[in-house]
Amino acid sequence: MTASVRVAAPPLLSARPLTFGIESGAVPGFELSWADAETCARQLEEGTVALALLPTTHYLGLAFDARVVPAIAATVDAPISSTFTEELTLAPLPDDAQGWLRRTGLPFVSLVWVGHADAVDLNRAAGLARSLGLGLSRLRDLARDHMAKHGGSLLDGEAFLAGLSYRLGARELAGLAAFVEQAHAMHGVPRRASIRLFDYAFLPEKPQAVVWPRAAGAAQPSLDSVLADAAAGERLSPDQALRLHEEAPLLDLGYAADQRRQSLHPSNLVTYIIDRNVNYTNLCVTACKFCNFYRPVSKSPKPEGGSDVYLSRDSDGYTLSRARLAQKFYETVSLGGIQILLQGGVNPNLRLSYYEDLFRWIKANFPLALHALSPEEVSFIAKLEGLSIGKVLERLVAAGLDSLPGGGAEILDDEIRRRISPLKCSTDTWLAVMREAHALGLRTTSTMVFGFGENPGHIVRHFERLRALQDQTSGFTAFICWPFQAEGTRLKLSDDTSAHRYLRTFALSRLYLDNIPNLQVSWPTMGPSIGQVALRFGGNDFGSAMIEENVVSQAGAVFSLSAADIERCVTHAGFVPRRRNMRYELLPESGAAGPVRVHSPAAA
Amino acid sequence: MRLSDIEEKLRAGVPLDFHDGVALFHYPDILEVGRLANQVREKLHGQRTYFNRNLHINATNVCVASCRFCSFARLKPGDPGAYTMSLEQAWQRLRDRMTVGKPVTEIHIVNGLHDGLPFSYYTDLLAGLKRIHPQVHLKAFTAVEIFFFHQHYGMSVADVLGQLCAAGLDSLPGGGAEIFAERVRRKVCPDKCDAAEWMDVHRTAHRMGLRSNCTMLYGHIETVEERVLHLLQLRDLQSETGGFQTFIPLAFHPDGNALQKLPAPTGIEDLRTFAVARLVLHNIPHVKAYWVMLGLKTAQTAQWFGADDLDGTVQEERIYHMAGADTPQGLALSELVHLIEQAGRLPVERDTLYNVVAEGEALLPKRPFRRPLPVVREAET
Repeated sequence: MTASVRVAAPPLLSARPLTFGIESGAVPGFELSWADAETCARQLEEGTVALALLPTTHYLGLAFDARVVPAIAATVDAPISSTFTEELTLAPLPDDAQGWLRRTGLPFVSLVWVGHADAVDLNRAAGLARSLGLGLSRLRDLARDHMAKHGGSLLDGEAFLAGLSYRLGARELAGLAAFVEQAHAMHGVPRRASIRLFDYAFLPEKPQAVVWPRAAGAAQPSLDSVLADAAAGERLSPDQALRLHEEAPLLDLGYAADQRRQSLHPSNLVTYIIDRNVNYTNLCVTACKFCNFYRPVSKSPKPEGGSDVYLSRDSDGYTLSRARLAQKFYETVSLGGIQILLQGGVNPNLRLSYYEDLFRWIKANFPLALHALSPEEVSFIAKLEGLSIGKVLERLVAAGLDSLPGGGAEILDDEIRRRISPLKCSTDTWLAVMREAHALGLRTTSTMVFGFGENPGHIVRHFERLRALQDQTSGFTAFICWPFQAEGTRLKLSDDTSAHRYLRTFALSRLYLDNIPNLQVSWPTMGPSIGQVALRFGGNDFGSAMIEENVVSQAGAVFSLSAADIERCVTHAGFVPRRRNMRYELLPESGAAGPVRVHSPAAA
Repeated sequence: MRLSDIEEKLRAGVPLDFHDGVALFHYPDILEVGRLANQVREKLHGQRTYFNRNLHINATNVCVASCRFCSFARLKPGDPGAYTMSLEQAWQRLRDRMTVGKPVTEIHIVNGLHDGLPFSYYTDLLAGLKRIHPQVHLKAFTAVEIFFFHQHYGMSVADVLGQLCAAGLDSLPGGGAEIFAERVRRKVCPDKCDAAEWMDVHRTAHRMGLRSNCTMLYGHIETVEERVLHLLQLRDLQSETGGFQTFIPLAFHPDGNALQKLPAPTGIEDLRTFAVARLVLHNIPHVKAYWVMLGLKTAQTAQWFGADDLDGTVQEERIYHMAGADTPQGLALSELVHLIEQAGRLPVERDTLYNVVAEGEALLPKRPFRRPLPVVREAET
């Protein structure tokens, strides 16, 4: 990067995690000056600084069309009590951040990076993200430093910093938009036409070719120092990740990932969800070689005046009836489930209207969140209907879709995809569906299945693609990986799918995916023991007490766990189990509401 | 508790004490404990992980004892599921095994305590096996069985061992130790010999020049303190005789026995037990992960938590499978070698006394064809 960019920030405690990397000199390219919020805003308007960290109120007051840096901010997403909450000004609205949370159910965005349209490009955005990453790993030091300068209670300050959230994703943007609306409606604050993010965020339709920096001839830092930096929140380069993948011993990798998990999730909670995996159809035209679940179809003669009909070539091809679905949904609700993970084969008989009707019917009849349709299904519907992916998603959201599962990613590299699933959506399409979904405010998960004969480069490129998209959208809630379950599939491979490789890959993903908040362990494939061990290799989520699973169980993975089993695994690993929803928001403690113990039929 | 104190002791070669052991069981960071155990393991054995090719024979499951953790024992002959092999049947197991692949180097024999068989059944069993395969090492009869022979046939322990040795016995397996604490034994295995008697059998065997293994059954009703005391008792006997080769932690399996209300130990508990055992038992050379009980995934991981031995290509194993172990009953040699290599360790085939039988290229003369993709870094393309 050439010249430094001048930035200003107010000397607030809540600003410090965002500015730390810049302050400490670890992140080059920024020249930081401190001034109160009023002055920061004026300097930005005058152009003496190109970028400023501003309280939302001051952002609204700006006289020019300022841009907001996506993905990072200081926000309140859970009640915090602290004397520092007065930093969170909601003027001109009368309530405080807690009141806002109660009233709107949306996060309150307290501080945002704001600037002129040309102030931030991809590199600078990465710098700002890194600055925050470094800050997050040193919250205690920041609180101590702040107290030394301004006085106050260290514990209180630390708790305040730990209680804030630093995300600016779809949900937070919705909170910001609501604030703009209300400030306008109640107090006549001039309404901004829209909250404009820096353009780089949505520009690249194709992800830019990743330049993997390599210092020629420079002395290699030691493996330990790379691990220590990664553990402290430094961003790993693809080359560093490759090196860790090849060289780092299992326990060292695990230790670094565990450290990283601790600073991302200092509360010591491990979450899980109760949901049901409903596979509405097993008819599929994608014919992936690694899949035991699908049944192929053949076209039957077109009925008079009707559209094409595809029939299963096997006797056990199915599409679930409403009655069967209703039964499954009732069971789910009665067992304490709060969500349906609805995925199926790519069935050409099912049009967009089928899904719209289905979603409306589900939403009208069952109190269940809909975590439905992986990118492959969405892109297929778009093709079938001749609509854009965005349009399909919009209509599905209008019908009740809540979030997208991250399935079908396998390895996000077309070299591998062509070999194992030539008919499945490409890497770019998978990422494009996720990008569109995030832009619509949907949160999604992300996955990786390894063990297809890919090399470490493919794995790291997969990570890099997810991380780059997440930098732009902040829409991924979680990452889940597991080794390919080969038993009985058409893919004859002798790749390493052992527990050792799983734990290493999982730990590396915690270090590399520094911007994806949650890492889910895969006990359905690895078993409860290794699932539990993975909680010490970077995991902070135990996935789901699944009431049903039909895909990996067809390929040799035969584990089942009840909620009680999950809580026991989590507790024995030294963590506190808590139920969550798809957005990783905590539900009230077990026992406070709803049925407490759930047993999956297999375990009962 | 500071782990650095323990680290200091390990560095100085000071044996860990009771409080250290308990503290290690309670230390929250399992990776730190694992790291220490791994250091000891690598100091003793480098990257090597041992295995052997053996045959398990459980000649009878008729048993006068009714241990509450056992799904194998049947009280009386003729009970549903009870069996006793004829000598011919037992020998045939070995003959069958001799015709496929390389012959086994060891036969592992553990039985129920059958009160209706003559002592000659056991000596004939051993002698017959040796006739079929003279080079094979016979690792047979736990201390509990030896003590039962002593009581049932009215011979001294030394006599029992002497006659069995004459028939071909080479060493003793480590089973039946369970947990030495009297409180626990009264509750879970009241009919078994007590700790002193178990120790005495091994002491006698060691003095006669036999080597043996030792075990601990954990994860049922025992406390952490009782586990540590158990380990220390084994260590004391070892410093007296030096006859133990290998310690094998055995996880309690709940299905199908009288303790099935108890949950099985979790993965972290398994790994921690390996690590603590490796650290406390400084004078016992090997720690073995018995994958039939742990599962392949946990056993593989245990190689980084203190274990340096994976129990061999077991052909058929009855005791744990009756208690619901869902691991495959037999494992091909190549699978085991890969399991070790995939964990970044060097597989070494050993005999019972840890002499190297084969390593490196000699292990698997014909490797399955597998072409890894070249590593492509984008900066280079």
